[in-house]
Amino acid sequence: MEEKRIGVYVCWCGTNIAKMVDVEGVAEEVGKLPDVVVSKNYKYMCSDPGQELIIKDIKEHNLNRVVVSACSPRIHELTFRKALTNAGLNPYMFEMANIREQVSWVHTDRKEATKKAKSLVTAAVARVAWHEALDKRKVDINPASMIIGGGISGLSAALEIADAGKQVYLIEKEARLGGHIADVDLTFPYMVPAAQILGPKIKRAENHPNIEVFKEAVIEEIFGYVGNFNAEIKANGSESRSLEFGNIIVATGLKPFDPSSVDLHGYGKLPNVVTSIEFEKMLQSGKIETRDGKEPKNIAIIHCVGSRNNDYHEYCSRTCCMLGLKYANQIKTALPETHVYEIYADMRSFGKGCEELYDATAKRKVMFLNFDQREGIPQITKANPGDCCEMLIDMKERLSNTQIEVPADMVVLLVGMEAREDAKEVAHHVGVSKCGNDFFIERHPKLDPVATTTDGVYIVGSCQGPKDITDSVAQARAAVARVLAAICQESGEVEVTPAVVNEDICCGCQTCVNVCPYTAISYDEEKNVSVVNEVLCKGCGTCGSACPTGAIRSRHFTDHQILSQIKGLMRTEMQEV
Amino acid sequence: MEEFKPTIVSFLCNWCSYTGADLAGTSRMTYAPNIRVIRVMCSGRVDPTFVLTAFNEGADGVLICGCHPGDCHYHEGNYKCLRRYHLLQKYLQQMGIHKDRLRLAWVSASEGKQFAKLADDMTETITALGPCKIKEVMETLT
Repeated sequence: MEEKRIGVYVCWCGTNIAKMVDVEGVAEEVGKLPDVVVSKNYKYMCSDPGQELIIKDIKEHNLNRVVVSACSPRIHELTFRKALTNAGLNPYMFEMANIREQVSWVHTDRKEATKKAKSLVTAAVARVAWHEALDKRKVDINPASMIIGGGISGLSAALEIADAGKQVYLIEKEARLGGHIADVDLTFPYMVPAAQILGPKIKRAENHPNIEVFKEAVIEEIFGYVGNFNAEIKANGSESRSLEFGNIIVATGLKPFDPSSVDLHGYGKLPNVVTSIEFEKMLQSGKIETRDGKEPKNIAIIHCVGSRNNDYHEYCSRTCCMLGLKYANQIKTALPETHVYEIYADMRSFGKGCEELYDATAKRKVMFLNFDQREGIPQITKANPGDCCEMLIDMKERLSNTQIEVPADMVVLLVGMEAREDAKEVAHHVGVSKCGNDFFIERHPKLDPVATTTDGVYIVGSCQGPKDITDSVAQARAAVARVLAAICQESGEVEVTPAVVNEDICCGCQTCVNVCPYTAISYDEEKNVSVVNEVLCKGCGTCGSACPTGAIRSRHFTDHQILSQIKGLMRTEMQEV
Repeated sequence: MEEFKPTIVSFLCNWCSYTGADLAGTSRMTYAPNIRVIRVMCSGRVDPTFVLTAFNEGADGVLICGCHPGDCHYHEGNYKCLRRYHLLQKYLQQMGIHKDRLRLAWVSASEGKQFAKLADDMTETITALGPCKIKEVMETLT
């Protein structure tokens, strides 16, 4: 049997790990384990010098297995696997111990944290000893793509791919393309009409020879894996159709926050309290007027409705501040005599041209009134008959520290963005995860913001988190770059670890056939054994735990590997089984 | 006598629960340091042998976490885990292992807070039960 030569690398992650875990102590202790040839600690293992250290050691010390003890494998497992490949080692001869997300960031007792880190690294060493070289599977990439959602993000992505000469299936739930932008009048900060941005895109998408648009479409099911997806789509109530494609871009967008639940704002009870969505329609029609057709003398714009408030959503919806400034300008242009009040919690004008818009708006005699979310939100009530206005807004103005009443004939609520109600369904179809607010989770928040943990599935626009048009389009085009790169390569490597049957032990009971969720296992009557279809198998391992004889091995999650890991955790000496 | 600090071996599925545990970290929530995590692709991969081995090696508790029902990345692996869990509970009790020492919970990728609480609850339960003696019993028998 081949001699096991393991290298262990304990990362400081600057101070992220080192402040709570005695990294030097862990490296020293683990260095005493059998088969461990080198055990080192370094400030940033994921940095180029960190990876170089591993590559150099693999060559110098003839290492054949590597353990990195650092952040979550979800962050950097691929980085280190690549380093192994660069050093000429099979990338699967690697194991990661998560001592940041699951140790240093969650524990407060340095001694206990260090003890836990040692235990996890010991377990990783015990596991990696049983790792075996695995091949990646090469798959062809179908050059067609499916884009879910025909809003500004989906349209931008569709056109870019189609212009590159590749087929696009654009799936839209509604009867028209355009999404929420179709209901917007002008866009901030440059006051360009949304129709001017959207109209040509819709027209081009609908007539593009490489784009097939499905409206009022329902996705019945999506199967497959990167390069080789297929789906059943039902559109316009017609027969369902099967589509084949290699990549998926999810651009399902957002749902505006419903302010009915915010009692103090009186939405649904006071007729002239409207949402930003309703106000946009008013602007599109060219008439700003109250329900009874009067010109409002006082308009108040309330910010952060449903956003940045722990009773509703903790997050910022990113677009409302600029929307409020845009409205102030549009009102001042249409009705120069009307008083405009911006009732805001914080003014966040971070985008290009946005601080300038804030400055310009302030110069147009718009009144800015600040409130503190923690001390309560503004309360809107019907004014008394003798008052000069329809409604009164009772609020504590933060900067002057006074309780004031603001007159209003119309109140515009800047409603935030939330995840769509069908996010769960979409997530299930394409195999992506959702965060606590039901927005989809990217593979890496900084280094891989449009990819997901499912190869060939990308997320763009507000389905990933609240976004303005600029950012949505940027994300859409970023995802297109990834998709086109994959198409150009014509084939890709997939990380799959299919199950394998040891025919000598298999008794032909077919337990595995019944538990496989992908019908990837069939029964060979002649040989009386189970057979795994490696293309269909997704490596969940449920057959491995059901097999009564141990004939099925879940590659990279074998019984030996996991049992050794358990024993390593419990700090017992590894024994050759 | 030294204060009893239990060791709890935990099997987390890659897609929901492991991500949830990572989220507890990125959100800087704190919880008891007694949980030792082993990542599996799916809770359906948790072979009863893994649980028995953990106890046999001296674990005081075992925690299995998977995606919520209906959310499994592999459609239904968590249901298979649930079935095995019920059978395993019966078997463990016959072995003299208290049923609270094995727990199955659903933790989604967004439930960092729930994971942290689960870790604390489980630690509290196992601390109250005291050390699991099955390892010593097995050693006496063999």
